[in-house]
Amino acid sequence: MSGYVLGTTEVADTFAEAFPMRYARLVITAETESWAYEAARSATGFATSVIGCKCEAAIERRLDAGDTPDGRPGVAVLLFAMDREGVGKRVIDRVGQCVMTCPTTACFDGLPGAERTVALGATLRYFGDGFQASKVIAGQRFWRIPVMEGEFLVSESVGVGRGVGGGNLVVGAADDPAALAAAQAAAEAMRGDGVALPFPGGIVRSGSKVGALTSSSMLASTNHQMAPTLRAQVDDTLVPEAVGAMYEIVIDGVSEEVVREAMRRGLHAAAVAGATHLTAANFGGKLGEFHFPLSELRDPP
Amino acid sequence: MTLTLTLQTQPPARVRADGLIPERLHGLAASDVARLTVRCGRQPLTLGDVFEVSGTGDEQLVLAGDLRRVDGIGGSMSRGRVLVEGPCGDHAGTRMSGGEIVVRGDAGAWAGAEMAGGLLRIFGNAGARLGGAYPGARAGMTGGEIVVAGEAGEEAGAGMRRGLVAVGARTESGAGLRMLAGTVIALGGIGPEAGLGNKRGSLVSAEVVEPLPGYGFAARFRPPALGMQLRRARELGLSVDDALLEGTWARWSGDRTELGRGEILIFDGRKPDDSRR
Repeated sequence: MSGYVLGTTEVADTFAEAFPMRYARLVITAETESWAYEAARSATGFATSVIGCKCEAAIERRLDAGDTPDGRPGVAVLLFAMDREGVGKRVIDRVGQCVMTCPTTACFDGLPGAERTVALGATLRYFGDGFQASKVIAGQRFWRIPVMEGEFLVSESVGVGRGVGGGNLVVGAADDPAALAAAQAAAEAMRGDGVALPFPGGIVRSGSKVGALTSSSMLASTNHQMAPTLRAQVDDTLVPEAVGAMYEIVIDGVSEEVVREAMRRGLHAAAVAGATHLTAANFGGKLGEFHFPLSELRDPP
Repeated sequence: MTLTLTLQTQPPARVRADGLIPERLHGLAASDVARLTVRCGRQPLTLGDVFEVSGTGDEQLVLAGDLRRVDGIGGSMSRGRVLVEGPCGDHAGTRMSGGEIVVRGDAGAWAGAEMAGGLLRIFGNAGARLGGAYPGARAGMTGGEIVVAGEAGEEAGAGMRRGLVAVGARTESGAGLRMLAGTVIALGGIGPEAGLGNKRGSLVSAEVVEPLPGYGFAARFRPPALGMQLRRARELGLSVDDALLEGTWARWSGDRTELGRGEILIFDGRKPDDSRR
């Protein structure tokens, strides 16, 4: 394997390293698309990194009224955590605080038929203080929780699937505007079914390394090897000569294949949008179960 | 080839056909089935005496003819499909726990009584005590779905604990009598005295009715669960007007002579002004 060139973009001979995670897909609906989106934005807030936020979550896609269980416009949200218990806790927190509270919403399981599930309405129903009621519709149980506006309808449980977290792509260019434009193009191309980009706009500027040089208690600290301002200050810089800014795009996906194809889309979109250097973050291959060599992404999507 | 029993002559008395379900007839040849006996009044009756039998038993069983004197069709079935080409007698689909029964005609009384699962579709009218509880039993239907294109007789959903009864036309008096939970939908309106003794059940009337005094008006709203149930009824073949999905329903809570956690939802024909949202 070796690095290669796409047009004028250098692609490094490296790989992204990712980890197994568990995920749930929530289908949030509302009377209007804007309220469904509002609830989804709230539910996926403060969910950028599992280290600091206990989960990673993002909007997967908007759903037409014909594609949702209750025939209203909706938004699909993906939420990732390290294990099923983590998914269960975060789903209850976020649906309880961000979806149930949002006008006109309902919340459904986006993974019907999954082998493993976690409770959702089965726990949230206690907010109904004894006035809640359940309905079994087409074999699935839902809870009707009375609220000030009417009723909040929520699935009794949601499915939990095995996913992949931590796929990534690092986009570099001569300066900050160019790098950001390329990263934005990449993020836009990477979004799709089964993909969650948990950072703001899908892009992270403060990529991290495991641990810290100056403290043994820190779980993560700045990726000094990819910080252009430290290029002349550290011996192990990974910032190429012509690169003045770098952005990382972190990808969580419902499968290894989904992550790989999202990376492929992003890599080629970034190259077209002006990235001069594309690379990926890893831990030497020692920590993550999934490796995504950039050499395997050379063919366009 | 699917096993088909076509009625040739009317039996001398009412026939109990509870055992005629796909899971019991699976793999049997027509000649074997023709030799089976069922109860006809107080006498045994060989099926071949009144039915023309063809095909081999598989996951589907077809019964054809005027079967109004044949009771218990599909009773206690747990899988497979029974297709009744014509009207049938009482107790169709009683205590069934799975599979599907389709009646292309009217069904008699007690259809789906104490049903626990599966789907019962009746293209004509249904008799009394649809999905109901037999005398002495506390609970009627405990799961599954019953869809009736026409009308339903008295006390539909009586004692119902769980599941869905959706009726395309009207239910006669006493629907949801002593209902524990579950849902009865009547697109043509529920008859008088509906929901007496209702604990947690939902009665849905697409026509204006006067609830019993044990019910109190709560609010007008668009019940999200009802919207899904109406969509489900539409999937199962009922003609559900869009207005019912888009409009508001009046919620009456009761029966206050019992637990009082039940409801009657009555369509009031209004559609909220969504442009203000």
